[in-house]
Amino acid sequence: MALAAAADLRCRSGSAQSPFQPALPAATAALRETGKLTIVAIGSSTTAGSGASAEDKSYPAVLLEELRRRLPNAEVRVVNKGVGGQSAYDMLLRMDTDVIEEKPSIVIWQTVVNEAISHIGEDKLAKILRKGIQKVQAAGIDMVMMDLQWLPRAGRYPQYDAYRALLKKTADEHGAAVFPRYGMMRDWSRSKRFTPEELVGMDGMHMVDAGYRCLAIRIADGIAGALTGNKPDMAEGMKSTN
Amino acid sequence: MPLVTQVRSLSRFLFLGRAPDGAAPVVQRDARIDVIRGLALLVIFINHMPGNVVAGYMPHNFGFSDGADAFVLLAGISATLAYGGLIERRGLIVGAARLAARIWTLYIAHIAMFIIVCGVVAAAVTRTQNPLYVEAINIQPVFSDTFEALVDALTLRYQPSYLDILPLYIVLLALFPAIYFAVRISPAGALLVSLSIWQAAIWSGVNLPNVHAAGWFFNPFAWQVIFTLGIIIGRAAQRGVVAPRLPWLDVAAIGFLVFAFVAKTASGNPVGIALLNDWFDSVQLGSDKTNLAWSRLLHVVALSWLAMRWLPSGAELLHHSIGRMLAIVGRHSLAVFSTGTVLAIAGQIVLAETGFALGPQLLVCLIGVMLLIGLGIFLTWYQSITLSGGTVSAEPSRRGSVQSH
Repeated sequence: MALAAAADLRCRSGSAQSPFQPALPAATAALRETGKLTIVAIGSSTTAGSGASAEDKSYPAVLLEELRRRLPNAEVRVVNKGVGGQSAYDMLLRMDTDVIEEKPSIVIWQTVVNEAISHIGEDKLAKILRKGIQKVQAAGIDMVMMDLQWLPRAGRYPQYDAYRALLKKTADEHGAAVFPRYGMMRDWSRSKRFTPEELVGMDGMHMVDAGYRCLAIRIADGIAGALTGNKPDMAEGMKSTN
Repeated sequence: MPLVTQVRSLSRFLFLGRAPDGAAPVVQRDARIDVIRGLALLVIFINHMPGNVVAGYMPHNFGFSDGADAFVLLAGISATLAYGGLIERRGLIVGAARLAARIWTLYIAHIAMFIIVCGVVAAAVTRTQNPLYVEAINIQPVFSDTFEALVDALTLRYQPSYLDILPLYIVLLALFPAIYFAVRISPAGALLVSLSIWQAAIWSGVNLPNVHAAGWFFNPFAWQVIFTLGIIIGRAAQRGVVAPRLPWLDVAAIGFLVFAFVAKTASGNPVGIALLNDWFDSVQLGSDKTNLAWSRLLHVVALSWLAMRWLPSGAELLHHSIGRMLAIVGRHSLAVFSTGTVLAIAGQIVLAETGFALGPQLLVCLIGVMLLIGLGIFLTWYQSITLSGGTVSAEPSRRGSVQSH
């Protein structure tokens, strides 16, 4: 347990530079009234957990565990609706059936990576994201958009940063929270506490369990913090444990 | 032939499957099939490298349908001319045997492509350290659980991105005898059944399973409509039914193409009727390729009507070197398609490694197209030396050959 906790500590390196402090009014109200917290994670491979050594190592699975630990009195449910390779538009099409019908109080939407690869056009992407966010928010659900993953050489995709900026801008316009995945992963990689394979599975063979686990821990920190008003445990306590 | 007779024989064909009086059965291969298919194959190759500048000028940007629709329609037409003709001449058993052999070839090609693509991506990821190549092709299952992925791939239950057309083609060819006999009885009736199956599948959400995605990218329950349409057109050609001179239908078809062009290229809703906002958004943001859409179907119908009416069917198309080149590519569709798929995935990697700079983009497209044309030329030559006696006419497209599609 102590060993696991020490391993989890490194996930919080750089949490001051890339903070995740979402406002979650719908989830807070739902938790207060019903004692329930339901989250739907919709996305492509990152959400589906591709590259994880087992199904329970995907980020939504770890998030469920971590939230149950942090919110012992709540009835927590995390539904994984990740489908590898899907575009934002594919996900928009299943937003009603896969997401809203689950009646969650939080939706975490992980997308845009396939759009950045295939460069579908910023106007088009903005429209798709707007429609998705509006749909979820109109159902009275808190929306969290997940930023793209950090890449060792993002210059391969010249539009990568533009698409990231677009995601942030669209989320901001609608008051949706953004989970700063890119910044976090960059900080993890700079912290030298991870091997590159642990984070991005660069050689395509290594499992990226550590990366998913850290994502889940940081999301859980942010959500639990917003719901309880507490700071994450030991958030900055790791500076001395180097 | 007077217009009235043309229209009468078309409707007699559509409803009763009858041939026009005194028309000789047609056996010669229609040059349009090869030329259009060659074009579709090159378009598919370019489109399989998303984000490249040339793809921005491909037909799907200007209309509802694209290379895939043309490819499936032509598959229906040429299957009718080849296997339908064979069934008529030699009976169902011989026809079915040839179909089975063809399906086996397609299956082997699909599996070979799958393995080659896995190898290409694995090599690229280990050398370039870019995990997104795995993402772009949805090939992670191969690396995380090779054994399961292999079994799923062999049973067509796992199809990485871009490796989804041949499985559709396999299923459609397996359905060919059933659809063909229905079309023989009544093309209109067969089409009605086909459309009902499509709509029922959409309504109930039926699709074949794809274990690492929502379902088959090309839902066979939907795409059989285009294939059936191809069989009807092929059967009409076989029975010598010609497209009647109906200028109002030509105008309607052109009108629909113009409408599609406006709908795709406009930003937002060009007609201003609020009720249609969602529809225009759906057309512009990404049309429903998995389950087909009425807009796609009508677009294909309009295009094929105009092609039947206005494109010369014979040697005129092959007078120009471009037509000849496309015909050569179209005649070796399986080899060109498979090679094109692998080349496109290798091309995607080259494009990313060169940071999508314009020069390499154009070069990759040009080299790829030249390789595919070169492959067609080589295979044509190779056939000419291996076919019995090496007697191949100057225009092999006119042979009613079974194996040359």
